[in-house]
Amino acid sequence: MPAPVKYDDPVSAPEMTTAPPAAPATGPWQTLYERHSRYVYYLALRTVGDPTLAEDITHDVFLKAYRHLNQFRGQSDVRTWLYRITINHCQNVQRTWQKRNIISTGDPQALDAVAANADSPLRVLEIKELGQRIQKTLDALPDEYRLLLLLVADENLSYQEIASLTEQSSDAVRGKLHRARRAFTLEFQKSS
Amino acid sequence: MDSDTPKQHLQHRQAEEQTTEQQQTTGQQAGLSFDSVEELLRYDNLQTAPPPAIAERLKVSLEQEPKPKRSWWQRFFAGRASE
Repeated sequence: MPAPVKYDDPVSAPEMTTAPPAAPATGPWQTLYERHSRYVYYLALRTVGDPTLAEDITHDVFLKAYRHLNQFRGQSDVRTWLYRITINHCQNVQRTWQKRNIISTGDPQALDAVAANADSPLRVLEIKELGQRIQKTLDALPDEYRLLLLLVADENLSYQEIASLTEQSSDAVRGKLHRARRAFTLEFQKSS
Repeated sequence: MDSDTPKQHLQHRQAEEQTTEQQQTTGQQAGLSFDSVEELLRYDNLQTAPPPAIAERLKVSLEQEPKPKRSWWQRFFAGRASE
């Protein structure tokens, strides 16, 4: 995995000017939004499983990022910083959204016990409803597995950054990812 | 002017039929195969664009926000630039 480029200031990375945003919705902020919103929205959508909630979360994440721009220390990639805000926001939303808690049925031990052929390719014949199928599969996984898979799918993130975002060691991330992939494959095959 | 002999004409027809048959088979088996979960999710991400409404909402929200304070180094360089 390529080492991510670090930026000292989220709005200056990398083609942005060092000046603070003169007009909030234009210039550097526009670029920041265009570059990262797809990833923030996708993480939110597949985490909470509801497009309307994901819209709200994406809006709030960028608003929060704007408000806390001065707190960004440049010790991580901008994407990682935005992901951290997104993960925290999703967790807050999920805590207050009872319906979501009822749907989530993932049990890591139960899933680990089932032998899934994780090496077999994931075949998709019906592209039209692929998003729904992926959502259904992710919903069946434990929250931790879901988050790890969504983060590792972003090639910009290193294992170390994923470990930092999920507050565990890189080795733990690797081990859990192996189980998460197996669990996903099993659920995905079931939904075909 | 069609200069094909009957034999050549038959060969052309057979070739055309073969191509059509191959296309139909490919169409029936159309689909995607992903080697890993990550690959599948990346594909899904590419198909999932954030709705434009978010950018519009954000624009309105940000216009109501006070301008963020500049960091010390931004103030420092801004000061030097004006000297």
